[in-house]
Amino acid sequence: MNGRIIGIVVIVLFITLFSLVIALGGLGYDLPMERVRLIARTYLSIAYNPFNRNYTVMSPEVVTSIVWDFRGLDTLFETVVFYLAIIGSVVLARGLKSSPPEKKIESYGLSLIVKTVTRITIGMIIAIAASIALHGHLTPGGGFQGGAVAAIAPLLVLVIFSRYYLENLGVKKNVMLAIRSIGLLGIGLTGFSVLLIGLFSGVNAYVFQNQPKPGAPVGLPYKFNGALISGTLWFFNLFEMMAVAAGFTIVFLLLSIPERDVLEQLKEEADKH
Amino acid sequence: MIDPELLVFGLLGFLGLVSVVATYLAITEKNLIKAVLYSAIQSTVYAFIYYLLMAPDIVLVYVPVAVGLYPAVILFLIHKTEKEERD
Repeated sequence: MNGRIIGIVVIVLFITLFSLVIALGGLGYDLPMERVRLIARTYLSIAYNPFNRNYTVMSPEVVTSIVWDFRGLDTLFETVVFYLAIIGSVVLARGLKSSPPEKKIESYGLSLIVKTVTRITIGMIIAIAASIALHGHLTPGGGFQGGAVAAIAPLLVLVIFSRYYLENLGVKKNVMLAIRSIGLLGIGLTGFSVLLIGLFSGVNAYVFQNQPKPGAPVGLPYKFNGALISGTLWFFNLFEMMAVAAGFTIVFLLLSIPERDVLEQLKEEADKH
Repeated sequence: MIDPELLVFGLLGFLGLVSVVATYLAITEKNLIKAVLYSAIQSTVYAFIYYLLMAPDIVLVYVPVAVGLYPAVILFLIHKTEKEERD
């Protein structure tokens, strides 16, 4: 115990002194910097700029503009990496099934007070997730953020009610895989949408294009019925939310299979060979 | 009257030190459940730091992932193995 206290004191002292040196200019320049760097200023000035229609994204949310437009392909591959991670866990848990409930489904889980509070908060969580994702092109947030918040709701049901309750609600592994695939398909289609418009109207267009660019004068409308949707950004956020929320839910459904069921089924499989 | 900017930087420094202590405790703790809790404390402090650094996008992804989903995954996994770390 004493050793840990000494360790904490030493680390805290070291870091305090080190930050003091840096704050007093030990690196040769002042931190934090006085002004925004050039690349940041460029993004800030063209993210929403109706007077510069050839370069703008028409989204006041600069981070989402960068994530889904300026570096859209990077985000696509991040999504693919996440998809492969989920596919990996699905493959690892192939054929595993949870045993049927031994008692009434309502008798599993925590007390009635916790369950009632959870029933109320789950609606709020879903609403917040939807607002974060669908307003991702207007306010801080976006598809991944909204999806991660939405994934908290099935997690709460899983822990506070039970796995069986969640599956009775229709949140099953295959349903979630289907939602996840729809989300990814949507992201792919949105990425190709402007290219398809360009092909059919006979002008030049690029993959992952959003607004008109020099030499590629087509783009998705940035307004829908008077509301700003910033072209592809709204669709990307919507589909990314579906994919991320369903992906996390699949992992939790697989993790919540009781360990003795897993061991039994693995043993049966080994006996067969 | 203290300069508000200085107050924010001071708070950032304090939160950073709290996160360092929480990280140290999380690494040295033998009880894995307690280690996850220390790690969640560190994540909560980081969420505040990101907010003070005016990065609300990161806060919105950091709060559900690092405070909710990640400790939950680790707790699920600890439940499947052992609660104490052995030498």
